[in-house]
Amino acid sequence: MTGPEPVVPDTRLACGRSTAPLVEQVAEGRGGDLDAHQRTCPYCRAALAEFDRLWAPVRAVAADRPQAPGSLVEAALRRVRGAGGETEYGRIDSPLGHTRVAARVVVALARHLATQVPGVEVALGRLAADGHESGGEVVPDVEAGVTGGSTAVQITLAAAYGQDLQALGERIRAVVARGVREVTGLEPVDVTVHVDDVW
Amino acid sequence: MTSDGGAVPDGGTAPDDRPDRAARIDRWLVGKAREGDVTAYEELIRRHRDRIYRIALRITGDATDADDVTQEVVIQLWTALSGFVGSSAFTTWLYRVVVNRSLGHQRRSRRWSGEEPADTDLPPVAAPERSVLAGAELRAGLEAIAGLPESQRVPFVLCQIEGLGYAQAAAITKVPEATLRGRLARARATLLAEMRSWMS
Repeated sequence: MTGPEPVVPDTRLACGRSTAPLVEQVAEGRGGDLDAHQRTCPYCRAALAEFDRLWAPVRAVAADRPQAPGSLVEAALRRVRGAGGETEYGRIDSPLGHTRVAARVVVALARHLATQVPGVEVALGRLAADGHESGGEVVPDVEAGVTGGSTAVQITLAAAYGQDLQALGERIRAVVARGVREVTGLEPVDVTVHVDDVW
Repeated sequence: MTSDGGAVPDGGTAPDDRPDRAARIDRWLVGKAREGDVTAYEELIRRHRDRIYRIALRITGDATDADDVTQEVVIQLWTALSGFVGSSAFTTWLYRVVVNRSLGHQRRSRRWSGEEPADTDLPPVAAPERSVLAGAELRAGLEAIAGLPESQRVPFVLCQIEGLGYAQAAAITKVPEATLRGRLARARATLLAEMRSWMS
């Protein structure tokens, strides 16, 4: 190995160059971007190769991207929401029993669906509030269908500038209504779109 | 390279590919959350929770501490948002909260165990024979980073691991950018020496 010996910040190579910029070059992922001197200098090339080898454990740490445990964050958000936010359900009856779908599921689904519509920058979902009964199983301010529950959803969003907002609203209504119906079985009888901002 | 002269690529984990757009969305959500909209706050947390957790994990070096810090930040940020005046990017403010909480946690843990490292007292990384299983490099890197003194570890985690720019990391840690870059250079040199020792 012809590389430099002990690695310290200001060691000078035999070619006269300091090792510190070479360390930075490797650490910033530019180890392969050689300048004119480095392309022909065996000392610099050896030092870069050595630093690159030594840097492998740091690269392994940077590549390791653990995610926050979902249950942990959800537990914290439950405390933020307080006790009242967990008690509403939609209900779909069947001959052998019924399926309950938490209001939060509908809200999260509606938000996700709306966000996927081109032209939407960011969206928030909530159940329509008028006449909304909290604490029970009848979710919306609309009549439940004969064979299933119904829901009314409000989407609040910021939209991309320079588009037909009415058409955007129609697209969102169609996507959210279809998605909520397909995933939850609840009938979205009203999807209100509130465009709060454009940019 | 990040927009403010950042150190390393982000690794694709930023909440959004376009920093300006991401910042605008954050501002919109912060505004809604400050008006009491919990769903906006949830979305804000959803966008940043992984980075909150990772910064806490890399600074404390302990998964349990990182869990605690993440939960505390999520709960207390809701009320603390009223104190966010918007003169800096939301993420700068958020990451400063996470860094300070993480350091507080670690100081308390190390006080109990009596293992607070000093600049001149760096613990050695694991011996090679103890790290022969898969992931040995990762473990060696984690141990070496955990052994860095605070003043070096925080800039290193923010810039080198999380890919933040020098200017933002300096703003988060409230030091001049030149100071931050000096600390980062010392951290890199320290780690190279540790890795040389580990690999030899």
